[in-house]
Amino acid sequence: MAPSSRRAVVTGLGMVTPIGTGKAAFWEALSSRRSGIRPLTAFDASALPCRVAGQINGFDAKQYIDKKERKSIKVMSRTIQLAVAGAQLALDDAGVDKAQLDPARFGVEFGAGLIASELEEIGPPARISVDAHPDFVDLDKWGAEGLASMPPLWMLKYLPNMLASHVSILHNAQGPNNTITENEVASLLALGEAYRIIARDLADFFLVGGADSKLNPLSMVRHSLFMPLTRRNEDPERACRPFDRSRDGMILGEGAGVLAVEELEHAKKRGAHIYAEIVGFGAAFDRGCKGPGLARAVRAALGDAGIAPEDVDHINAQGTSAVEADIWEARGLHEVFGGCKCPVPVLAVKSYLGSLIAGSSTTELTASLLALEHGKVPATLNYEEPDARCPVPVINESQPVTKPYVVKVSFTELGQCAAAVLKKW
Amino acid sequence: MGAITPLGHSVEELFRSQIEGQSGVSPIELFNARQFPTRFAAQVKNFDLGRHVKDAERFVDSGANCRFAVAATQQALADADLLDNHKVDRTRCGVYLGCGEGIQDFHNLIRLVAQSYRPEQRSVDTALFARGGLSCFHSHREFEQEPHTAPAHLADYFDLQGPNFNCLTACAASSQAIGEATEMIRHGDADVMLSGGAHSMIHPFGLTGFNLLTALSTNNAEPTRASRPCDLNRHGFVLGEGAGMVVLEELEHARRRGASIYAEMTGYGSTGDAFRITDSCPDGRGAIACIRGAMKDSGLAPTDIGYINAHGTSTQVNDRGETIAIKNVFGDFAYKIPVSSSKSMLGHLIAAAGAVELITAVMALRRAILPPTINYEVPDPDCDLDYIPNVAREKRVEHALSNSFGFGGQNISLIVSRFHA
Repeated sequence: MAPSSRRAVVTGLGMVTPIGTGKAAFWEALSSRRSGIRPLTAFDASALPCRVAGQINGFDAKQYIDKKERKSIKVMSRTIQLAVAGAQLALDDAGVDKAQLDPARFGVEFGAGLIASELEEIGPPARISVDAHPDFVDLDKWGAEGLASMPPLWMLKYLPNMLASHVSILHNAQGPNNTITENEVASLLALGEAYRIIARDLADFFLVGGADSKLNPLSMVRHSLFMPLTRRNEDPERACRPFDRSRDGMILGEGAGVLAVEELEHAKKRGAHIYAEIVGFGAAFDRGCKGPGLARAVRAALGDAGIAPEDVDHINAQGTSAVEADIWEARGLHEVFGGCKCPVPVLAVKSYLGSLIAGSSTTELTASLLALEHGKVPATLNYEEPDARCPVPVINESQPVTKPYVVKVSFTELGQCAAAVLKKW
Repeated sequence: MGAITPLGHSVEELFRSQIEGQSGVSPIELFNARQFPTRFAAQVKNFDLGRHVKDAERFVDSGANCRFAVAATQQALADADLLDNHKVDRTRCGVYLGCGEGIQDFHNLIRLVAQSYRPEQRSVDTALFARGGLSCFHSHREFEQEPHTAPAHLADYFDLQGPNFNCLTACAASSQAIGEATEMIRHGDADVMLSGGAHSMIHPFGLTGFNLLTALSTNNAEPTRASRPCDLNRHGFVLGEGAGMVVLEELEHARRRGASIYAEMTGYGSTGDAFRITDSCPDGRGAIACIRGAMKDSGLAPTDIGYINAHGTSTQVNDRGETIAIKNVFGDFAYKIPVSSSKSMLGHLIAAAGAVELITAVMALRRAILPPTINYEVPDPDCDLDYIPNVAREKRVEHALSNSFGFGGQNISLIVSRFHA
């Protein structure tokens, strides 16, 4: 197929994160090396093995939603509220007059994951159904009486596609609307897909992002069981240490990162500020999680962009701080960039935020877009002692931007990988 | 193509049952639903993954969605001669599913919530809950609920190392997956894409959620007559479960290896309603734009479409709105296009619905016979198209349209065409 002449650029950034809301606060924290990892206080976490997290304090969805739409907040779980706030911030930052957007050419694409039910909502039916025998859930009682004690729209508060649904409703976005549910790589896949949809002339403007919050009792219990989380509870700010030799596990965070992505001529016509152009995307599956699949995704993205590894200023890595994941990520990156004469440095934004799961990729990417903007790449926190098994040059001091391209890399612990290349405008 | 459905565990059985006008709906046996407002569903019966793959025990902790997906994928890849076929570059074979989440551990969760809930404060003792959860939830089964596990397992088990996506846009998911997978092949990201969906929401939370929304039929006296799309007395949909998988392949790649070709993907349309989270826009605007998008993509004229496999959920709002949309796009010719709803027989497979319905449309093209809409008895003046009432119809069709509209406003239309070598 002939390459499209339509180009996609990023014209707005909206982030709600543990280190700050909006690009100014976010950049300020990155510049001053301020971690957002703290003891988890959203609920009594004393029974959990990991009690530190990237928590957002004082978030109030009302600030981001028009007065006449605020009644819908009650059918939004926290994850949806974060997404809606991120989308509003991205639109504000893009300086869009919504009246000038063609609704049919306005798409929304999000990365999202499972959203846990608030336990308070299932407390009443649970009590009704488990009264006489504490180990027996009486489904007769649940069906006959319990069910009716729940809010009618209960399920809609927790469906993953509701992030993109609410955003599209609030902003009258009637173009393509999709939700990718692949954990850490979800919002990067969403970005890649939106980039392709703009190129094939089915939309001119997109809100693309991801949001997640696992900082509730049910999600934290579940993730404690199957995720390699840190045990460094006494030292939260130093707990997330991607690629560092003494790393011992991941940290969960919450937040949203949303980008306004726009066809170039559309952006120029309205005089938009352009952060960067999306110039390449690739995805692959790394069978056995060894690195070659990740390398294929990165090579596909570089090939799509038509550039060589040497052209890249820095890599915005997944860098989870998990013992195994950092090893195979580093191997994959080394396979592509290891031969560069001048090492391509690696930035791991999770050292500030923890893992925002479905919100990770796009939120982390905004750090590199701001780096291009300010001419300065922020440091990765807590990278103190290299790990020989992770052959990547991690930036532990801020350094100047010297080249126009950044590569964002993401993957899941099962091997779904993606990479995107963005070019400073 | 491959399928695990309430009407059989193969594409052949699925299609034959639909042509016979069978219903897959029966009282719920998967759990005790006797006191729920709705007590029936279209369940996949007698499913044994061990009859489909050798090492079924690998998927013992996976949810029904994943287990259905593995069996349907085995069929689809065998059908396409792509199982263990290393003449094909496996790094050029990707996966794009619209696969649902797994099933929550309802019993343990409810038991723990009941113990830790403090009604006076309307709050939960989270430390008590966490201690209980850490000791009784099963870590692998919890992990397997995550919606990225099924597409990863398929990629790993069947050696599909290309791009790997999963979308979850409610009832439109697997159609959207097939549409986007088609675009990935068009763009050159892969030569082969495994696409489709798998889902089961026939569990206590799923039934609770849909019953609370009053979206389901409650015709407990006559389950097989409950799903009645476009009939005047329709009153909600019927939950179903299952999986449908298709192998999409770049045409020259398929020709070079002498693959047999079912049909060509010729049109894909995708829009958002941007209306309400609870229902679609009654004027059908999202559906209209979506069908128009697919028609434009295909380059076909309205009169080229010979069959529509409708979203046809059997709710008042959907069937009326979909009829409005079809009439808006096709004008007077709408009355000449036979339209049927597989959901009248299969129920609503949620994320998997679109893929199974697309497979049905492909089979209708191949066999020159169109499946009926069963339980169509009393015409609704608002739904006045030709719904192929109750009896299958022989008709040779060149191009078929399949619609899927998701809760939350995601609309997808796909067009498939007979392939002429």
